[in-house]
Amino acid sequence: MTVAGGRKTGCVLSLLLAALLLLAGPAHAQGSVTAVQAQQRAKAVTQVVLGILSYARWPVEPVPLRLCLVGPTEYADDLIKGNLQNSGQPLQVRRLLAEDREMAQACDAVYIGKLDHGQRDRLFQAVSGHAVLSISEADDPCTVGSLFCLRVSDQQVAFEVNLDSVARSGVRIHPSVLQLSRPRAVQP
Amino acid sequence: MTASNKPRVRPTLRSVLGRGHLSVALLAVGLAGVSLTLLGVLALRVYANHNLHLIARSINYTVEAAVVFDDSVAANEALELIARTEEVADAKVFNNDGEQLAHWQRNDDGLLGHLETQVATALLDEPINLPILHKQQKVGHIELIGQGRSLLLFMLSGLVGILFCTALSAFVALHLSRRLLGDIVRPLRALASVAHAARRERSFDRRVPEAPIAELNELGNDFNALLDELEVWHSHLQSENATLAHQASHDSLTGLPNRAFFEGRLSRSLRNAARQQGPMALLFLDSDHFKQINDSLGHAVGDEVLINVADRVRAQLREHDLVARLGGDEFAVLLTSLQSREDAERIAEKIIASMQLPMQLDSGGSISTSLSVGIAYYPDDGDNCASLLNAADAAMYQAKRTRRGQWHAAQTERSAAEIKNRS
Repeated sequence: MTVAGGRKTGCVLSLLLAALLLLAGPAHAQGSVTAVQAQQRAKAVTQVVLGILSYARWPVEPVPLRLCLVGPTEYADDLIKGNLQNSGQPLQVRRLLAEDREMAQACDAVYIGKLDHGQRDRLFQAVSGHAVLSISEADDPCTVGSLFCLRVSDQQVAFEVNLDSVARSGVRIHPSVLQLSRPRAVQP
Repeated sequence: MTASNKPRVRPTLRSVLGRGHLSVALLAVGLAGVSLTLLGVLALRVYANHNLHLIARSINYTVEAAVVFDDSVAANEALELIARTEEVADAKVFNNDGEQLAHWQRNDDGLLGHLETQVATALLDEPINLPILHKQQKVGHIELIGQGRSLLLFMLSGLVGILFCTALSAFVALHLSRRLLGDIVRPLRALASVAHAARRERSFDRRVPEAPIAELNELGNDFNALLDELEVWHSHLQSENATLAHQASHDSLTGLPNRAFFEGRLSRSLRNAARQQGPMALLFLDSDHFKQINDSLGHAVGDEVLINVADRVRAQLREHDLVARLGGDEFAVLLTSLQSREDAERIAEKIIASMQLPMQLDSGGSISTSLSVGIAYYPDDGDNCASLLNAADAAMYQAKRTRRGQWHAAQTERSAAEIKNRS
């Protein structure tokens, strides 16, 4: 019953999200981002996220690798369609609610969309102490919490690494990726 | 046809030696240099290709993450980091879609750079195409073109080395051939000079000195031995000739000159006398009763008597006077540089007087003999050999006829009549 209930709430949430997206779509259309650009960005983001996953090492190699999308995401449309990692290993992508208590057990990696501060803090509390790789999609100063923070532009999808979080997470990241990271000019 | 008729110019020992040394040295250096350079180039080519593959692989590892994240800037940085310090002329990184992600090219437009490109295209496996793998999946590939600098430098230094070694070995070969020439030519010159002296001056006393080369030394020794034999043979021949000449002109029994010798000397003295207008006398001596001695006492005693007579006559004469045995018991004496007729007569008397003492024979006993002497004067009794001899002969017969054991001077007016009477 609980399972069925969970599904019901999931459906309701999905509908709500869809509605939100529909509302948000026109708002974005008003900005500089066109549909074609968005498609390109989504593709680039997918490549970067898969790249990061391919350079990460968990204490126990997860098969399949479970990637959870949390919160409203802008460029994860391609990502959710995929089911294969770069290495050819299976990849499982699903959306979860930010408040999901089982997140630490259900996910090996978390792709974080737009969340408010409270949600973020709770999410990171939930995953702290577990080997979970977290990637923030946007507007994260990358000082606390997320291991990777994406910087999406038309030219390129760059990313920053929070070495402190990487060290604490227990997930090992290949040095090549660390070298590729572009720390933004130090901001106050 | 003209070429075969033309006398061939013989090469000198120096040019033969020099050419031989030079060709051997050049051949050795050339073969060694070329083969070493070829082997070196082949070996270096293998290493250069291997090195290029290593560079490609290290570029691969370095740009792998950048290609995975499609990061062109990072890929360019990583590419330059490696390619700049290595022997790479051109390097490109492509992603899986075939898009060029990064490109690096060496700016080397000089002559050397051009040559390097030529060498690299000729000798290296180019371009190297290596896939970039990530998690056993191909994510892109790189293309690499080598520079070929080390190969070019090796070939240039090999060329310089060959040239230097060639020049050095040519110099050394010429020097060696000159030294060898000295060792060979010096003994040969000594040999030639000794041979020349022996041929031209008949001087067989010189010998070839020792030579440093065994064969030449042997030749010199053989030549010296030949000279020894020649010297012995030559002196033997000379003494033989002298003996033969003496035998031809002298009487073997008495050791006095014979008729031929006497007549030669007489005619020579006549020629000299004609120039100097000096008087000369010709004495004709004949032993009295020699035939009886020979018949009664034997030829051995006859010979002994003849030898005794010869010795006694010779003892009475001056140093430059000449006595000869004309044959049998006939002797002739030639007296030159006379002051007067009396000188000749005095000598004739001395000769006759020397016979008065009896001769001691080997068989014991003694024997006495006497001489009849005819004298003819030059130029009074004749001015040539035959007339003088005839006059002296006639005077001698005159002496025998009148009184044996005396002398008689020729009287030319009567001589002819006397000869006519006798015949």
